[in-house]
Amino acid sequence: MTTLSSSPAAASMRKVNKYYGTFHALRDVDLDIPPGKVTCLIGPSGSGKSTLLRCLNFLEDYDSGEVRIDDQLIGYETPGGRRMSARRLREMRRDIGMVFQQFNLWPHMTALQNVAEGLERVRGFSRPEAEVRAREALAKVGLADKEANHPSRLSGGQQQRVAIARAIAMQPRIMLFDEPTSALDPELVGEVLGVMKQLASEGMTMVVVTHEMGFAAHVADRVVFMERGEIVAVGSPREVFHDAADPRLQSFLQGYRERNSLEF
Amino acid sequence: MPDLLHRYGPDLLTGFGMTLFTWALGTLLGFALGFAIELLRRFGPKRLAWPIRAYVEFIRGTPFLVQLFVLYYGGPLIGLRLDALPAGVLGLTIYGSAYFTEILRAGFDAVPKGQIEAARAMGFTDGVIVRRIMVPVMMVSALPALVNFAIILTKETVILSMITVPEIMFQTQTMMSETFAFVEPILILALFFWGFVEVISRLGRRLERRFTHYLLERS
Repeated sequence: MTTLSSSPAAASMRKVNKYYGTFHALRDVDLDIPPGKVTCLIGPSGSGKSTLLRCLNFLEDYDSGEVRIDDQLIGYETPGGRRMSARRLREMRRDIGMVFQQFNLWPHMTALQNVAEGLERVRGFSRPEAEVRAREALAKVGLADKEANHPSRLSGGQQQRVAIARAIAMQPRIMLFDEPTSALDPELVGEVLGVMKQLASEGMTMVVVTHEMGFAAHVADRVVFMERGEIVAVGSPREVFHDAADPRLQSFLQGYRERNSLEF
Repeated sequence: MPDLLHRYGPDLLTGFGMTLFTWALGTLLGFALGFAIELLRRFGPKRLAWPIRAYVEFIRGTPFLVQLFVLYYGGPLIGLRLDALPAGVLGLTIYGSAYFTEILRAGFDAVPKGQIEAARAMGFTDGVIVRRIMVPVMMVSALPALVNFAIILTKETVILSMITVPEIMFQTQTMMSETFAFVEPILILALFFWGFVEVISRLGRRLERRFTHYLLERS
């Protein structure tokens, strides 16, 4: 399939394995995340997409193999060696943005405070400077007028856009999205995908776990199909969605098409 | 009655003051110790989990009076010689810490994992996560229980009279034994506690509003 690896990978995985007890969640995963591109992870639930994503910022530890961000090993000092120090892990995570399915905004802070908090506490900006940058980020996701609202007074779509603003304000080198629209009412999905498209068009390196096949087909540069902890297929959207050869991928796509045509 | 008040007024006032003082200090230190124990249990080494559990269960499983006697009369056996007042405050502190720790544990457990994870993923330190996210979020659910226990502690202070701390119960008993008047002193005592607890409830409600204001905003 296609090779997009003309420049060094923004993130990479080599022979990564992950177990939950006896359950083998990731099996010898090899993956390169091309810089400045959108990589979508698709597959049935329980296939390991979210686990893979969460290994990229070490929210989930992996049992063997190597996960690298900009060629820096994350989580361990050496492959298979000791855990890296908490301080070093924090330093690496500063440059990795993450957006969650459940938004995970801090409920006691306004939209502005949610975005400014990391700038102040992690990036070390003064409060006024952090707020200036937070306002810019909120404006970017179209929520300049909602800065004083607490999450409880925002719709799901707005909350997720604040969460995206919170992540991009930190100026990460790579953004991870864990099913960012799965918890949203259908009519709110579009506004979040819109912001993500805009981000993609600006050349942000993005890794997106998604069930939105439309988004994967139209925005992704690369689609990765997983099943049972394995990467089964990798390629351009066209290669994965139209020229799928693997029977597991075919049956997954078939199921998806049937569900969507039955809706009306 | 006016005669009694005239004679024992100053002693009763001292007693009130002593009760307020032991309660305030015991609650404050008990909360601080309980908080420290909870942080240790959550972020400290795993091998401390068992001793902490034993401590909490022992304190919760024995009467406060017994703990106080152990501390005050048993303390000297291990070289811990305390006057009545410090022994009383230390007793309240220890007693309170076990309960406060459990209330805080439940409160911290109720903080949605995702909110902590979001902060971790951004590179926050544990200290900032506790201070800026876990505590404010936890307070919403834990504050009523914390205030409730602070109220219970007001009434536990009367037990300090058993080791001769000159708080209100001690003064009242002195007054009763010297004058053989029972109804008046006990009535004064009861009214005092009622008013005292009322003040704490009000303060507690005000504090609750401060931590939950964002939930009460109209959309």
